[in-house]
Amino acid sequence: MSIKVKNLSYTYSPKTPYEHKALEDITFTIEEGETVGIIGSTGSGKSTLVQHFNALIKLQSGDLVVNGIDLAAKKINYKELRRDIGMLFQYPEYQLFEDTVAKDVAFGPKNFGYKKEEIDLLVKEAITLVGLDYEEVKDKSPFELSGGEKRRVAIAGVIASRPKVLVLDEPTAGLDPVGKREILELIHKLKSAYVKTVIMISHNMDEIAEFTDRVIVLNDKYLIHSTTPDNLFRDENALNGTGLRYPHVVRIQNLLRENGLDINLEKFTVDSLINEIEKEVFKKDN
Amino acid sequence: MARDLTLGQYYPVESFVHKLDPRVKFIIMTMYIVGVFLVKHMYGFIVVAAFAILSTLISRVPILSVLKSLKGILFIVIFTAILNVFFHKEGRVYFTIGKLLVTEGGVFFAVKMALRLILLVLGTTLLTYTTTPMALTDGLERLMTPLSWIKIPVHDIAIIMSISLRFIPILMEEVQKIMKAQRARGAEFDKGGLIKRAKALLPILIPLFISAFRRADELALALDARCYNATPNRTRYKKLKFTYRDLIALLSGISYIVLIVAINHRFWIPDLIYSIPFV
Ligand SMILES: Nc1ncnc2c1ncn2[C@@H]1O[C@H](COP(=O)(O)OP(=O)(O)OP(=O)(O)O)[C@@H](O)[C@H]1O
Ligand SMILES: [Mg+2]
Repeated sequence: MSIKVKNLSYTYSPKTPYEHKALEDITFTIEEGETVGIIGSTGSGKSTLVQHFNALIKLQSGDLVVNGIDLAAKKINYKELRRDIGMLFQYPEYQLFEDTVAKDVAFGPKNFGYKKEEIDLLVKEAITLVGLDYEEVKDKSPFELSGGEKRRVAIAGVIASRPKVLVLDEPTAGLDPVGKREILELIHKLKSAYVKTVIMISHNMDEIAEFTDRVIVLNDKYLIHSTTPDNLFRDENALNGTGLRYPHVVRIQNLLRENGLDINLEKFTVDSLINEIEKEVFKKDN
Repeated sequence: MARDLTLGQYYPVESFVHKLDPRVKFIIMTMYIVGVFLVKHMYGFIVVAAFAILSTLISRVPILSVLKSLKGILFIVIFTAILNVFFHKEGRVYFTIGKLLVTEGGVFFAVKMALRLILLVLGTTLLTYTTTPMALTDGLERLMTPLSWIKIPVHDIAIIMSISLRFIPILMEEVQKIMKAQRARGAEFDKGGLIKRAKALLPILIPLFISAFRRADELALALDARCYNATPNRTRYKKLKFTYRDLIALLSGISYIVLIVAINHRFWIPDLIYSIPFV
C-alpha cells in the first residue's frame, strides 16, 4: 500500500485560452503508515495533486501507482481505488444530502457494494468513531447539526467505507479553534486505530508541524521539499519565496534563541515549548 | 471543463469585434437576425454567410470554436430539414418514397431553413464569444432605457440578469466540486438506465440547491448591508463609449441589410444571375 508519483504534470483546459499549468514534474512516494502533510500557498496545486490519487482527475502525463493500481492503465477499477483511498474535500459538510445522518454515512459503503448487514455495522462504527452518539444522531437530519458535527458526519461518511488511505483537503478550514483541535485529534485517533495512511493538506503550519511525520511543500506547481517537519522547519531558508510562514512555536523558539534562551524543541507542540521555556527559566533562576 | 464554462463562452482575445460597444453589437446582431429571416435567394444567403464569416475572422476567435456551437443543434437541423423536405411540395418531383414526394421546392425550402438555423446560431455564438456577460447586460440595460419611461424597472431587470449570469459559473464550479465529492464516495453518474441516472443526480442537486439558497441569502444580506437600492441615477464603473469602430460596424451592418433587401427585390442586381437555377 503505497502511492508512487513520478514526473507528474497536469494542465487544466489544455489547448484553450484558459490553459493553466497546475502541476509540473512532481515526483515523490508515500509509504504505508505515514502521516504526510501537503503545504503550499493558495493555487500551488495541492488539491489538484491529491485528486489524482483516486482518479478524480485523470492522469495526463507521468506515472502514478496507487496501492499497486497503475493509473496510467486503460482499465482501472475505480470502485476499488476509491474505496481504498478515502477523500475528504474542503468544506465536506456541503456534500451531505440524505434526510438522515445514518443514510448519508451509508452512501459510500452502499456504492462500494458492501452487504446490507455489513453497512449497518460500518455506519454505526464510523459514527461512533468520529465521536458522535449513534443512537442520538442516526435519525436526525444532517442539516440540523452544528458545523463541527456536520463535519464529523462527513468524515464518518468517508471512513465508513473502510479506506486504507485517508486524504483530507484542509479538514479544519472554517472551524473555530476548539473545533479545529477536536478534528485534528480525531484524525490522529483514526490514524492510530483505523486507517493506515493519512495525507493532509493544510494552511496551518502548526497543525502540520505537530501532526505529520513528513511534509511535502508545493510552490507554484513545483514540488520543492519532501522531508520531515523537523528538517523543514529547522532550515531557516526552506520556505523562502513560498509565501508560507513557519509554525508559531518555531518562530517563538527562534525569537527566544536570538534573545539568549537556549531552547531546542523536541516536538513542535505548544506543550513542548512551554516545557522548554520552564526548564530554561528554572536553570537561570538557579 | 469547468473553466471553459466559467466565463460564459467568452473567448478572451483582443480584436476589433471584442472592443465594440455592446450596444452596437446588440444592434448589429438584431440586424443580422433580421437579415437571416429576410433572405429569400441563395445569393442572399451568401451575403449572410459572408457577413458571419468575415465577422468571425475579424474577431480572431478560431472558426472551429464557433463551429463547435453547431454540435448542439445538429439534431434539430437535420430533423427539421427532413420534415421540410417531405411536407413542402412544389415544383419538379425528384423521386418518391412510398407516399412521400421529394420535390425540388421541398429540397430548396429544407436547405434554406437549415441554413437559416445554422447562420442564426453562428451569429449569436459570436456575440457571446466576444462579449463578457457583464458587458452584455450593461449594453442591454442601456438599450432598454427608453422602457423605463413607461415605468418598467429596467435597472432591476438588468441587475437580476447580471447577478444570474454572474452566478452561473459559480454554480457550475459548485456542481463540479459536489460531483467530485460524491464520486469519491463511490457515486457513478454515467452508469445504468434513465431512472438510475436520474436518481444518481439527487446527491448533486440537493447540496447544490442548499448552497444556492445559502448564497442568495448571503448576497441579499451583503446588498442590504451596503444600502444597495436600484436608484435610477447610479453612476457606472465602466462608461460605454461610442468610437469610430462602432461607426464602421454600424455602417457595415446597415449595408448588409440594404444588400439583402436589394437582392430580395432584385434592385441593381443584373437579372442574369437570377436565371441560374436554384435561386
Ligand atoms: N477546474 C479548474 N479549471 C482550471 N483551472 C483550475 C481548476 N481548478 C484549479 N485550477 C487552477 O489550478 C491551480 C491549482 O489549483 P489547486 O486547487 O490545486 O490549488 P490549491 O493549492 O489546492 O489551492 P488552495 O490552497 O487555494 O486550495 C490554481 O491556479 C487554480 O486556479
Ligand atoms: Mg485546494
